[in-house]
Amino acid sequence: MKWFGKMTTITLAATLLLGSYSGSATAAASKLSGKIVINGSSALLPLSLQAASEFKKLHPKVRISASAAGSVTGPQSVRKGIADIGACDWDASTDVPGFKKFDGQVANKVAVIPFAAIVNKSTGVTELSTKELQDIFSGKVTNWKEVGGKDADIVVVNRAFGSGTRVNFQLKALKGTDFISKGDNYKEVKSSGDMKTAVETTPNAIGYIDLVYVTDKMNAVKIDNVAPTTDNVINGKYKVWSYGYYMTKGQPTGATKAFIEYIQSAKFQNGSLKKLKFIPITAMKGE
Amino acid sequence: MSKTIPTLSAPQRPSRSSSVRRLRLRLEHRSFRLLCASSAVLVCGVLLAMLFFMFRTGVLTFRDVPVSEFFLSTAWEPENEKYGALVFILGTFAVTGLTLLIAVPISLLAALFLAELAPQRLSRVVRPILDLLVGIPSVVYGYMGLTLLIPALRAVTGSNLGDGVLAASLVLAVMVLPTITRISDDALRAVPRKYVQGSFALGATRFQTVTGVILPAAGRGIVQAVILGMARAIGETMAVVMVIGNTPQLADSLLKPTSVLTSNIVMQLPNVPFDSTWNNALYMMGFLLLAISLLMIGVVRMLQKKGENAA
Repeated sequence: MKWFGKMTTITLAATLLLGSYSGSATAAASKLSGKIVINGSSALLPLSLQAASEFKKLHPKVRISASAAGSVTGPQSVRKGIADIGACDWDASTDVPGFKKFDGQVANKVAVIPFAAIVNKSTGVTELSTKELQDIFSGKVTNWKEVGGKDADIVVVNRAFGSGTRVNFQLKALKGTDFISKGDNYKEVKSSGDMKTAVETTPNAIGYIDLVYVTDKMNAVKIDNVAPTTDNVINGKYKVWSYGYYMTKGQPTGATKAFIEYIQSAKFQNGSLKKLKFIPITAMKGE
Repeated sequence: MSKTIPTLSAPQRPSRSSSVRRLRLRLEHRSFRLLCASSAVLVCGVLLAMLFFMFRTGVLTFRDVPVSEFFLSTAWEPENEKYGALVFILGTFAVTGLTLLIAVPISLLAALFLAELAPQRLSRVVRPILDLLVGIPSVVYGYMGLTLLIPALRAVTGSNLGDGVLAASLVLAVMVLPTITRISDDALRAVPRKYVQGSFALGATRFQTVTGVILPAAGRGIVQAVILGMARAIGETMAVVMVIGNTPQLADSLLKPTSVLTSNIVMQLPNVPFDSTWNNALYMMGFLLLAISLLMIGVVRMLQKKGENAA
């Protein structure tokens, strides 16, 4: 009987605490219920998972399930009605190289993702112009000495067609010019992790990657004399970045709308999102 | 006879409780049988469903792509509506062939050593080690290939990348070595001792006995071992994708980045639009792989049957 009494006290206290907590948070929104399915970009998955776990604490009746494959599966799942939110590394309501736009979908900005062109340390190269990048990735320039490095073949490491990082790098760093796709000194890798290993360990290699993956075992080159840093993205000098998007069928409604608003809120953007090394969309106001 | 199997016959006691018990037993047997049968049906059903699904989606490729282009063209540029899969088909066979060329002789010699030459105590230690090696996840082999083998290949050959058929075959050879060795070892040990003794009695040397008697007698088992190794090599994905270079071009050199059926599927499937010809073509490649490995298993079964008949 003794422990029963104790238990009752604890339960009572917990109820009171929880009650006052949810009461003080958002009294109206806590009645929010529904199910949100998120699919798409693997780059945005950590963000979705973090936001989901925080959002579920505020709105316990909302169930959120997030999974990821490639970026394009996001808007596709939304079109098919499998997912409510399609995470995508590019604005899928417009045409991008290789993918037609998805009609009737709305792109909601959720984060800023910077990218860097990276080279193996052995090249000795620390700076490249946009023109030089275009020439290297299209195969016109094949030796490092033509762009100020030592006399050695350039090894190009590329992501597979359809990769969100590839789409953005092609759009923003190469201004839409084509990649080479063949040759003895060309290979493709299947993920950012593989890209990191390949460029770190392959002499004379060049590739590109999300800025958060850059390590000191590689050189992230200055592009047109601007270093790839978060500050340079925010102050508008460094152009190779893109928004990460949540695609929805039309304007979002109900729980989905509340979730997107939560992820766009200053609290989340300046807190958890920054911790995950994305740049807040609010930082880009001066764009 | 039936009395010797106590679980299947109820005791012969004409009482009420015994008839209840008999009923209960019969019910138990029935339901257990049903459970077993439905499990068997489930297993077969999964396989058939997979075959059917892969084929149904894959065959849609040929609405937009001529069969001859898919199987005979080397131009795989889905973004430009070119769906030639020959590079991958040839790549798969090239990698598998080279793998076996490297792995089979070494495995056979190792198996001979274990079964015929090594002292019992040594083979008793080595066999469990080989069994453990079979169980190492392929991604580990791939990672070793990427971080150890490829830099070594670069240093030895002077090539810039090191990725390609040679790297993939070396990684796969290391992977299938234990499989082929262990199964060949079992086959060699199954050769009746009287054959060996007969050979020695006729004055044959050890070498003559091995090449003239033991190997031919174990031939069928060795072929099975090779085919199982081959099936593993053909279907391997993770280890290959890390060292092959993933470039859809015909490899005219062992060190040129290329691609195979498995690696191309895993590279591209997450990023293709649903219901596109591209997607269908990848399913067709999956079906091809499935068909090839089923064929392999069929051959193994046939050889086993023949072996039983001959014995």
